[in-house]
Amino acid sequence: MVSWNFDWYMLGAIMLLCLCSFLTRCSYMLFGDKFPLSDGVRSALRYAPVAALVGIIIPELIPLSANPALIINSRAIAAVVAVILYLRTSNALYVILGGMVALWVIDLLRNVVF
Amino acid sequence: MLFKQINQFFRSITSAQKRAFLAGLREAVTPLIAVGTWGFVTGIAMVKSGLTEGMAVLMTLLVYAGSAQLTALPLIESGAPLWLIFAAGMVVNVRFIIFGAALQPYFRHLSKPKLGVLSFLISDIGFVIFMSRYGGSKRVGTNQQLWYFLGILVPGWVVWNASSIIGVYMGGLVPQSWSLEFAATLALLAIVVPLVKTQPMVLCLIIAGSVAWVTQNLPLRLGLAVAVIAGVAAGVIGEKYASREKRRIHG
Repeated sequence: MVSWNFDWYMLGAIMLLCLCSFLTRCSYMLFGDKFPLSDGVRSALRYAPVAALVGIIIPELIPLSANPALIINSRAIAAVVAVILYLRTSNALYVILGGMVALWVIDLLRNVVF
Repeated sequence: MLFKQINQFFRSITSAQKRAFLAGLREAVTPLIAVGTWGFVTGIAMVKSGLTEGMAVLMTLLVYAGSAQLTALPLIESGAPLWLIFAAGMVVNVRFIIFGAALQPYFRHLSKPKLGVLSFLISDIGFVIFMSRYGGSKRVGTNQQLWYFLGILVPGWVVWNASSIIGVYMGGLVPQSWSLEFAATLALLAIVVPLVKTQPMVLCLIIAGSVAWVTQNLPLRLGLAVAVIAGVAAGVIGEKYASREKRRIHG
């Protein structure tokens, strides 16, 4: 029963995300002649993706905790390494590869040292 | 019947169109490596978040928006309400509205069905590569521009979906200790960092990040909604302040 409900939930989520893709990708291309966006709205919209992505990333990297050992964790450090790599190379691929390698190295060191 | 039509279509492609398509493809080759990696990671992440393989393939083909998928996965995993998943997907995808507004003059002459298909293929790299070549051009809506764009978008669609499906089925072979799910977070990071180029954008990042950190234990992942509102407000206010500063210095 539970898994049946879960599947409908999943399917609903996928369909709604498909609708998201359709609405955002196609609406302006298809009907843009009829809906000019004001400059104010356009500039505000520029910030939404960054805010949303950061809003997802930060809780994945840094748990809310009074314990500083959890705040400065290997994932957060690896992410910092990844960002520095991007700023040096401007290659998005290095963010993924560099961040992963950094995480493995940090975890390995932690296992060896402690 | 269909085969005949397809055959006719391929025979009707002129050599100029072919050249434009290949020119687009050449520009796209390096970014496509990143797209492939990211697609593979997204494929793995979907299965790791509890989607069945069938559902994961369905999601890849129907949604075709990596950052929206990766954003939705933690929400789906924690059983967030569907409206929040929809709202988060819309917010992350909002950049496509901006892309659409910028690209629309180039393709408005196409028929609605063709335009619908073309716009569903729009991707971040497609937009960036196309605009860096044709963003300043005086003539818009040429056949060359369309085929150049297709040369980036069509291979992009193929690479993304293929790598994603490979990730769905082969991801299980990757050992747990490699923490590959972290690559999904890194992929999101790889989209954010290039976007943060101006001071108001930095402000938006700091405010959205701080708010998201403090509010991460709110029920239904409502912290995300709060972070978006705070981040957009910070960006807009920061922009106003920056332009006032500029006027003060130059005026």
